[in-house]
Amino acid sequence: MQIITSFPLVKIFIILLSAFSMPLIHNRRHIKIISIIFLSFSLTLSLITLNYVFRNGAFYFNAGYPDTFLGIQLYIGPVETLLSSVLEFVILVVVWFSAFSIDEEIRQNRIKFFYILIHLLTASILGIIYTNDIFNGYVFIEVAALASCGIIVIKEKKENIKAATKYIIMSTIGSGLLLMGIAFIYSYTGHLNMDLIHLEILEGYDDYFKSLLIIVALYTAGLGVKSAMFPLHIWLPDAHSSAPTASSALLSGVVLKGFAYFLIKFMDRMLGFEIINQLNILPIILILGSSGMIFGSLSAIFQKNIKRLIAYSSVAQMGYIFLAIGLGSPFGAVIAVYHMMGHAVTKSALFLCSGLMIEKTGKNEISNYRGLGFEMPITFILFTLGALSMVGIPILPGFISKWYLSIESIQLGKFLLIFVILLSSLLNAVYYFPIIINGFFGIENLENRVYKSKRAPYEKLAPIIVLITAMLVLGIFSKDVLDFLITGINAL
Amino acid sequence: MNDTILKQVVKIIAPCIQLFGIYVILYGHISPGGGFAGGTIIAASFILQHITFGKAYADSLLNEGRALKLISISLIAYGVLKAYSFFGDYFDLPHTPTGIPGNIFSGGFILPLNILIGIIVTSTIYILYSLFSNE
Repeated sequence: MQIITSFPLVKIFIILLSAFSMPLIHNRRHIKIISIIFLSFSLTLSLITLNYVFRNGAFYFNAGYPDTFLGIQLYIGPVETLLSSVLEFVILVVVWFSAFSIDEEIRQNRIKFFYILIHLLTASILGIIYTNDIFNGYVFIEVAALASCGIIVIKEKKENIKAATKYIIMSTIGSGLLLMGIAFIYSYTGHLNMDLIHLEILEGYDDYFKSLLIIVALYTAGLGVKSAMFPLHIWLPDAHSSAPTASSALLSGVVLKGFAYFLIKFMDRMLGFEIINQLNILPIILILGSSGMIFGSLSAIFQKNIKRLIAYSSVAQMGYIFLAIGLGSPFGAVIAVYHMMGHAVTKSALFLCSGLMIEKTGKNEISNYRGLGFEMPITFILFTLGALSMVGIPILPGFISKWYLSIESIQLGKFLLIFVILLSSLLNAVYYFPIIINGFFGIENLENRVYKSKRAPYEKLAPIIVLITAMLVLGIFSKDVLDFLITGINAL
Repeated sequence: MNDTILKQVVKIIAPCIQLFGIYVILYGHISPGGGFAGGTIIAASFILQHITFGKAYADSLLNEGRALKLISISLIAYGVLKAYSFFGDYFDLPHTPTGIPGNIFSGGFILPLNILIGIIVTSTIYILYSLFSNE
């Protein structure tokens, strides 16, 4: 059984090494097959690890210098395994979709670079989730940021270069703040290992209250830029809407979650919620999260481009995650993680659907999608299911997280938040439902439309169907998922 | 760049720069230097040849496609060696011999890793130069 504990590092190595085998291969088909094989292998290892953690509980893995505090340590608990399995699943499905769609969107000699970047992104997101060493986490965050810039700019259009430049400037500022935070915490505690930092902080943090406040502020701002916390989200709509479809799905579904989980990890494993509740940082996260929920949705209402609309919806959904973190309770963090998983699955499905719509109609303005539900019914039904989850219809994951978020805010006595959640849900409905209603109904919309005339090919629909099924499963088994996650948060 | 003196001097000086770069890489683990420093020195000699003899001649030595292949192979080799040292501790695989301190063959994996870094840095810096050189 010892060999299972090495699987997380094995996965990171396999994905990184297979990335660099791609420039050696000339056939584009073989590149795609290799990518899918390695990602499915790593997903299998993830599921084995998940089963192991489910039976035996969390474990550590030391890479180099065991039994000292010098080596890099990975911590694999329930939350880490489940979140990484879901994100890897999303990446695998998006890569499956991209195998059929990427040839039309980028130049042929860029395809190998696209898959290299996706592998680097996968490995770095896994690293961010697993690592127990903050500097190692920082290195992975840098790799992830550069790789995500790469998959935006790979389309080589003018707006992509502009968006990627904006993104790289913002994300460099974020990295700088984060690095400063790490430097602060290293000079304060003398450790980079999260557990040792936690022990060090527990001893007399009263004397270092101001420096702790600075550290938390730097961390929140640094990771807030990268995971699109409300006022720092301005890079997101451009970047996510101009990228190729598969890249948008990955950026919105997976990359944001890695950074946000690193913030949860910082609060839960490094400081602990008792300490963080005494600092005045959580109300700010709460306010920024709620304003993100409302202003993200308000901006989405006025968008004409479907991908920009979905990108602004991501800002709103990240607001939910920050709201859940800002509650400052272990169960809040559990809801944040659950919302991450639900949003990862749903948002990537929505982006893939919008990619199909743009491909079939040739236009990306929403006004051109009237009556489209009649012409491409399966795509539109899948889009509707995803949108219903975003709005919060029962048994879909969006509803579950909103429901538990409301219950948790009542328990903590923050009644105002319920209205924020309700308002945000209504706003979500305001911008998603017109697309759906105009797509399916209205006599003038359906005039001269031929049933299934713009039907998407089944090989492109299958990945989206898989994602939507996963979304339904995540919603139906939400109780078990939440029970499993709660054992992982605050386990110190 | 059709200057005879320049061409003759570069013909003499380029191998010397490369030799010095190789020295810096090989002695990286026992003296100042290492893969990155040595790699940039060797890349400088290639860039010099690119400037004096033109793109066609420089491409016959190291072109973009070949550099990309070299980078990939070196990165894979680097990853495999690093994986051995990470998992070696964990699964009790045999340790690499450390050798006598001060010799070139000492310090376990550091020498091969330095050589690989040297190849990667040479190729990367040469690719960067040829991306921005508008010939």
